[in-house]
Amino acid sequence: MQGVVVASVGNELRRDDGAGPAVLAELLDRPVCSSVWCGRLGSPFDLLGLWDGAQLAVVVDAVRAGGTPGEVHVVELVGLGTSHGSDPEVDPGVATGTGAAVLAPASVSSHGTGLVEVLRLARSLGTAPARVMLVGIAGSDFGHGAGLSEPVRRGVGEAAEAVAGLLRAASDASCARDDGP
Amino acid sequence: MTGDGHRDGTRVVAVEGLARVEGEGSLRVEVRDGRVEEVELRIYEPPRFFEAFLRGRRATEAPDLTARICGICPVAYQMSACAAVEDALGLAPSPGIGDLRRLLYCGEWLQSHALHVHLLHAPDFLGCQDAVELARMEPAAFERGLSLKKLGNRVMETVGGRAVHPVNVKVGGFYRAPSRREVAALAGPLTAALDEALATVAWVAGFDFPDVEADYRFVALRQPGRYPMESGRVASSDGLDTTPAGFAELVVEEHVARSTALHARLDDGRPYLTGPLARYALNVAELPAPAAEAARQAGLGPVCTNPFRSIVVRALEMVVACHEALALVERYEPPDPPSAVVPEGGGTGAGATEAPRGLLFHTYDIDPEGCIAQARIVPPTSQNQIMIESDVRRAVEASLDLGDEELTWRSEQAVRNHDPCISCATHFLDVRVHRT
Repeated sequence: MQGVVVASVGNELRRDDGAGPAVLAELLDRPVCSSVWCGRLGSPFDLLGLWDGAQLAVVVDAVRAGGTPGEVHVVELVGLGTSHGSDPEVDPGVATGTGAAVLAPASVSSHGTGLVEVLRLARSLGTAPARVMLVGIAGSDFGHGAGLSEPVRRGVGEAAEAVAGLLRAASDASCARDDGP
Repeated sequence: MTGDGHRDGTRVVAVEGLARVEGEGSLRVEVRDGRVEEVELRIYEPPRFFEAFLRGRRATEAPDLTARICGICPVAYQMSACAAVEDALGLAPSPGIGDLRRLLYCGEWLQSHALHVHLLHAPDFLGCQDAVELARMEPAAFERGLSLKKLGNRVMETVGGRAVHPVNVKVGGFYRAPSRREVAALAGPLTAALDEALATVAWVAGFDFPDVEADYRFVALRQPGRYPMESGRVASSDGLDTTPAGFAELVVEEHVARSTALHARLDDGRPYLTGPLARYALNVAELPAPAAEAARQAGLGPVCTNPFRSIVVRALEMVVACHEALALVERYEPPDPPSAVVPEGGGTGAGATEAPRGLLFHTYDIDPEGCIAQARIVPPTSQNQIMIESDVRRAVEASLDLGDEELTWRSEQAVRNHDPCISCATHFLDVRVHRT
């Protein structure tokens, strides 16, 4: 595989916000990760420069999605509406995936620059990956303290397997391209 | 989102969600009969969890735990924690360890300032709603900012082991000293970054700035012979000169009902301002030559009291960070050992360092078993809160002729001038400006 990035975001001292790092920790021992860049980031903003030109970027994070805590959402960020109106060149299409659309444009701050805004920035700069997937675990407790809530802790394995599945699919597609007709 | 109301001659401007600041808070401004009656910066900062959380933990855990307070300035928390614990235990790391800490801090200043200047602050001066518009309008400048931020992260990774919540920092020094080769690899990028930072100063110096002057009492560290970052005595523009422990005793914090953050004043009851404007005012003679020349060309005098021009001073501090980092890289020798031995026992200590946003100080009471009995952590933004409100008041008073939308933007801008770090976990702001 070439140009695959897997990044987690989250703070382990904000309860379920530590879901991203927990998933990454479970993922790192798997052989499928040996040929991709895997790491944790302080915020989605750090994806800029890191994921430039990648074939696939997978972001793992806790999400506020409503529904059931611990539920794993796999969403492809195909296109995003913005509070400032749509730009067909920058925000094409709609978000698709197995879960409900969990993303909404967020105000930009260096601590909280949301994935949506980061992807808009990357597209403006012409550096966005070919595909961006979000693997999110619905959290319920974002208060202070270490440790995931029980539902989220149970969701970590499923989320790690979801990421691994995305990486295997990308690897298969890459091999198919390399083999050629 | 914004809202405004006009009732009974009172003008109220409300902004639901302050944009382009760190964290979670709201701003409420009430103007009555043409006079600003009320300005409230409401900080939804989480309660002082970390001070309570640290009680009973080993003092040697303080750097790792407090780093989690902030994802953008973890080094500042680690450095202040180390300084406070080392002060309590009577530990004095070697000059080589001090230099390596300063290099790490240069990385944090660079990435934090680059991010604030380009992502949060510059859009205000160019009429852009957000960074995406700025990236379209000024792609070269924006890419330059990303490059500077990326290099800051790389410096933090090289020295700290990781850009987010660095893992190589410990009380006494570092777990591992990076090799000469690892550090030398930073020289080329830092040389290029110095030029990029200088170009950034020239760029922001050309913005249109409102003609505002404030009467600040500045408080910052002073380090003889160098621009302060990781150590120094605490000084003020009205003559204060004391140790971090002495300063901690002077700071009085009071809880304000509308906010979960504490408001800080010195024991004479007067507020003060920390951050880039304060550092510049108190240390302008210590600017390295390239930064001093850039300041002159940017039209900055020996003191800058226009909060809108703080963007120029932040850009200047990126020049300082690049210059200092390059000098440290060029003379780097891995400290051996990489850490001083941490003695047994306890004590009381204080440590202060200059986070990108301003003075950050910690105090710890450590029991004879080496566990923290009491902790006090005072971030720069909580120290600046009173002055931020004062600035908003001044900005609104000077802008009453503006329509509600522009007045709201000017109010938000007055907050953003100070690069506040309101909380480090959530990220929306709620600003309400009420006019009657």
